Amino acid sequence: MRVTGPEGPWHRVRDAVAHSGSVVVHGQLDDWLPADLDSPRLRPLLGHDYARFEKMAHHAVRARFVASRLLLKHVACAIVEAAPETVELAYKPGGRPYARGLDQIDISLSHTDTLLLVGLTRRGWIGVDAELTDRPMLGLGTENQVCTPHEHRLLAEVPEERRNSALVRLWTLKEAYSKAIGQGMRFRFTEFGFGPQDRPVQVLRPDGSPGTGDEWTFHTFRVDGKYTVSAALFDAGFGDTSDTAAATMLDLGLIDALVDGEFADSAGGVR
Amino acid sequence: MLSVDVLIARVNEEFGIGLQPADADVDLADLAEWDSVHLLRLVALLEHELDRVLPVHDIIGARSLRAIWAAAMES
Repeated sequence: MRVTGPEGPWHRVRDAVAHSGSVVVHGQLDDWLPADLDSPRLRPLLGHDYARFEKMAHHAVRARFVASRLLLKHVACAIVEAAPETVELAYKPGGRPYARGLDQIDISLSHTDTLLLVGLTRRGWIGVDAELTDRPMLGLGTENQVCTPHEHRLLAEVPEERRNSALVRLWTLKEAYSKAIGQGMRFRFTEFGFGPQDRPVQVLRPDGSPGTGDEWTFHTFRVDGKYTVSAALFDAGFGDTSDTAAATMLDLGLIDALVDGEFADSAGGVR
Repeated sequence: MLSVDVLIARVNEEFGIGLQPADADVDLADLAEWDSVHLLRLVALLEHELDRVLPVHDIIGARSLRAIWAAAMES
């Protein structure tokens, strides 16, 4: 669903997560771009990301960075019912973002052109990816880096006028899946594949045989008429956690550390 | 491929973008025109130019064009 700015509507995002456990939210760069990229108000909003943001030289890179983080933080905060300034983004090796201390939600971020994309789940892991549907990929050597032998055969059967967009779909599915498992592009995309669009999507081995089971679900959809968006979702069997407020979801170890450190020292112990 | 400058020139030529020699040491995430499709195409370009399969993990783990070039040369 599209969210056009910090004002929401967030009830739809909360309803989606309450209903299905997951949500994919998209926004446009201009909707999330602060009027002043040098405003001191960005420092608390970006938290630890501010140091990296401050060093960025290109306006386009800075704009994309701040807008995507604001969207991501607002989506996460809508679910955990916290203020954006209170949620700190951190990054796992490979660049995968997570909300520090909120260990029961998983988040994923993507952007392309002017589209910003955020996936959030409380069911397990999520990965999202977006690409312009008409981005040229075919005939540039990319299909040899992306496709399994099985996918090569299937692509050859796709009418020529739809073949490039079919490759873009495969690409976004592979990116989304590799983000969900925390690998980025760290293993070859030719080592796993996906089937055609007209049947339930699952991960396939290079020869086309099934590679994963029902714990994984995949969705590909069109956004704003020109973007191909894919989401990969792993259901870890966390069940239906209906209470996702920050007070409930804060990692107990983090709470212990906070209480043992700052509060215990200043207030003579609060436990 | 003798240097990272040559690599950047080849990337500009093949991908139709305008990287500068000074971009060699910039974090890829901070390059305005760069994204994951470019990275994939760069792997394809390097494998074609060097006529060998590259260790994708090392290439993808590199954070700049110079680091990618170095990883490709060392492989």
